[in-house]
Amino acid sequence: MENKFSQKVLEKIKEEKIEPKPRWQFLLKDYFIWLTFGISLLVGGLAFCVMLSIILDNDWDIYRYLEISPLEHFLISLPYIWILLLLLFLAVAYYNYRYTKKGYCCNAFTILALSVFGSIILGTFFHALGLGGKIDRTLSRNFSFYQKIHCCCHRKDIWTQPEKGLLGGKIIGIKNVSNFDLEDFSGFIWQVEKNEQTLLRGPILVEIGEEVKLIGKKKEEKVFRAFEIRPWWNQEEE
Amino acid sequence: MLDKENCGEKTDEELVALTLKNQDFFSCIVERYEAKLTRYIRRISAATQEDAEDLLQEIFVKVYRNLYGFDPSLKFSSWIYRIVHNQVISQWRKTKSRPQVLKFEADEDFLKFIAADEDLAGNIERKFTGEEVQDVISRLDGKYKEVLVLKFLEEKDYKEISDILRKPLGTVATLINRAKKQFAKVVKEKEIKF
Repeated sequence: MENKFSQKVLEKIKEEKIEPKPRWQFLLKDYFIWLTFGISLLVGGLAFCVMLSIILDNDWDIYRYLEISPLEHFLISLPYIWILLLLLFLAVAYYNYRYTKKGYCCNAFTILALSVFGSIILGTFFHALGLGGKIDRTLSRNFSFYQKIHCCCHRKDIWTQPEKGLLGGKIIGIKNVSNFDLEDFSGFIWQVEKNEQTLLRGPILVEIGEEVKLIGKKKEEKVFRAFEIRPWWNQEEE
Repeated sequence: MLDKENCGEKTDEELVALTLKNQDFFSCIVERYEAKLTRYIRRISAATQEDAEDLLQEIFVKVYRNLYGFDPSLKFSSWIYRIVHNQVISQWRKTKSRPQVLKFEADEDFLKFIAADEDLAGNIERKFTGEEVQDVISRLDGKYKEVLVLKFLEEKDYKEISDILRKPLGTVATLINRAKKQFAKVVKEKEIKF
């Protein structure tokens, strides 16, 4: 005897001409989830590599010139926007992995650990390729607001404090071996004095067009005595 | 012409493959799961027999539509139970009327399975009435009711429950353990002697 319920279901399927969705729709959905997971890991990796680059490139020793504690300096130097971006894409990666076919088999901690580990490995690889520095420099040069948001402190403001012994800018002229002209980030021209005791920290060439950071002392109006010269950007990442 | 006599000999997976070639074979799947799934719907929702049948009809249409999405690494029964579970939840969300009290059939099987459980068996001294079981179950958290139904009434193993609820095996084990503890606690609070 024919089961009434199964007949009802079958009739509904036939009357409404219901067909199974094609296999490619399911495959496409699966691939999309994995692709989004991959992209999230990739962007997370990029965020991590820029974060790493900014942290490694930061001048952690200048807190004494800024007259703040190392902890305060640490807190204002962290690249919060990149940390937030990394966390955001870790969350997206986690969410996507959960929705893969077998994503539910792993617990939340394992998925998060995998996402963090994946982003760190990718980020370190990108950093080794110099991508972090390149992204940070490109954004800094093309988007003025980026410098303001990438951490609590505006890097250029920190290095425009000649009274505290910190001056940054571009070398615009070389007078002799002991003197060069520097245009600071406010557009003022400084005459910079250096001698054989001046420490050149990092791979730096004192030549026109170079962007540098100076630690020293303001001698008089628009004259600065440099004790130490550092490259504005980490030259190894160029 | 569909030879229904042979349906019983086919595995679920074979019936899925046959249905994709000839939709008439889908009635074999419907017949195989109709009673089990109606019971399951009624156990996890407050649906009446009629409501459960209406919902089940929608569910079977959905199953048919998604046949190509059946993941062969799962048991077909886990896949279809998952669809039912999701559809019942979706129904709750639509009507925003998730039942506060899970309607529990006064099922003798439940006691049998609870009693067969090593952790609880030693504590049970007498038989419960169906009403008592229903009362205790109705006091459990929703997540615990779900796993208890799957474990003790639907007789699913941990792997199947994990596949149905889309939760890791460890989480399922924890939920079942906590469900049993909560069950025992509620019984003690009600001063039902074990």
